[in-house]
Amino acid sequence: MGFMSRSASMMRYRIKGEIEGPFWDTVDEGVRKGAFRATIAPGDEVGLGWTSMEDFTDSEFPGASYVRTRYVALSLRIDTARVPPRILEMHLKTETRRLMEETGKQRLSSGQRRELKEQLKESLKRQAFPSIQVHDVIWDTANGVVYFASLGAKARERFEDHFKKSFGLTLVPLLAYMRAEELLDGHSDKQILEKLKSTSLVP
Amino acid sequence: MDFLDILREKAFLGREFLTWLWFKSDQTGGRIDVPGYTVVEVLFLDRMTLDLSDVETPQTVSIKGEQSELREGMAALKEGKKIEEARISLKTTDNDFTVTLKATWFSFGSFRTPAILPSSETEADEGPEGAFLEKAALIEEGMEIMDSLFAYFLKLRISDAWEAEELPAIRRWVAASE
Repeated sequence: MGFMSRSASMMRYRIKGEIEGPFWDTVDEGVRKGAFRATIAPGDEVGLGWTSMEDFTDSEFPGASYVRTRYVALSLRIDTARVPPRILEMHLKTETRRLMEETGKQRLSSGQRRELKEQLKESLKRQAFPSIQVHDVIWDTANGVVYFASLGAKARERFEDHFKKSFGLTLVPLLAYMRAEELLDGHSDKQILEKLKSTSLVP
Repeated sequence: MDFLDILREKAFLGREFLTWLWFKSDQTGGRIDVPGYTVVEVLFLDRMTLDLSDVETPQTVSIKGEQSELREGMAALKEGKKIEEARISLKTTDNDFTVTLKATWFSFGSFRTPAILPSSETEADEGPEGAFLEKAALIEEGMEIMDSLFAYFLKLRISDAWEAEELPAIRRWVAASE
């Protein structure tokens, strides 16, 4: 469920690194550079990128609609299409037969067969109905924190990767220990934290 | 330490926080006076997962049910397990939230904030931005409450008072439960 629902799951990230150059211009560049588009990727992915949080079909962001005072509001849209194995096999058989008739060859080499299979898979992926996933993102630019409305490992990985590609910034999940480092002042407190070991709560 | 090292070796910190929070909530009748912040009502609700963190094959005990059935959680604590995840309610005078706090990633499952006013009640020209800003403010407030509780735990955890007073009190609490 997205952030605008009553209840949403979320991961909190700390941003490492800084935007170089004029801040909002660079952010805008990054949003547009990483806006949703069809992708050629291995596996089942057919599309990836940023869309408006309120409308997953809007990747134009008229009037920089993603800016909300100090926040950036986006969704990461990931489209995947799975080609059922037997459908692929069916098309492969038909195409192989057609190729052999055209070229007069008795059989394809394993390399040719592999290449044909890849090509067919890509074209069939585009014909299938994609499964559309939308994951909301809130970037608090004043505090260097990003909230991502999904806990799934795959979604998080794609998000972290795409954020880096778009903005040149690294996202680090704000683990308890890392938050602790931020909350403690003073060198000696941090040293104690570093040395902490698990205690047994059993009598 | 690199990220993976922290994830592997320091996950106990989140678990100890959650377990301490349960202890604290129980001891104070659910009203925790956080130093330098405010009184936060913390209640542990119907869902809890406990885990043996420092072993090769962690065992998970999942407990769902009424408050009283959380006593099974106590039995797990007695075996040395710590809370990996728990559904809790957090209330201040202004607002109330529920969340499933997950220790290993310090992440927030089904984080529920108070309702936002329907858009007809906000100014006509605010549109989605108004609702968004309200939600963002609520999320921030929820995080602030969580961080203040965590900071309270943290300062105790690194102080001498942990070994001297807090830990013995937690152990007595675990031992005393039926």
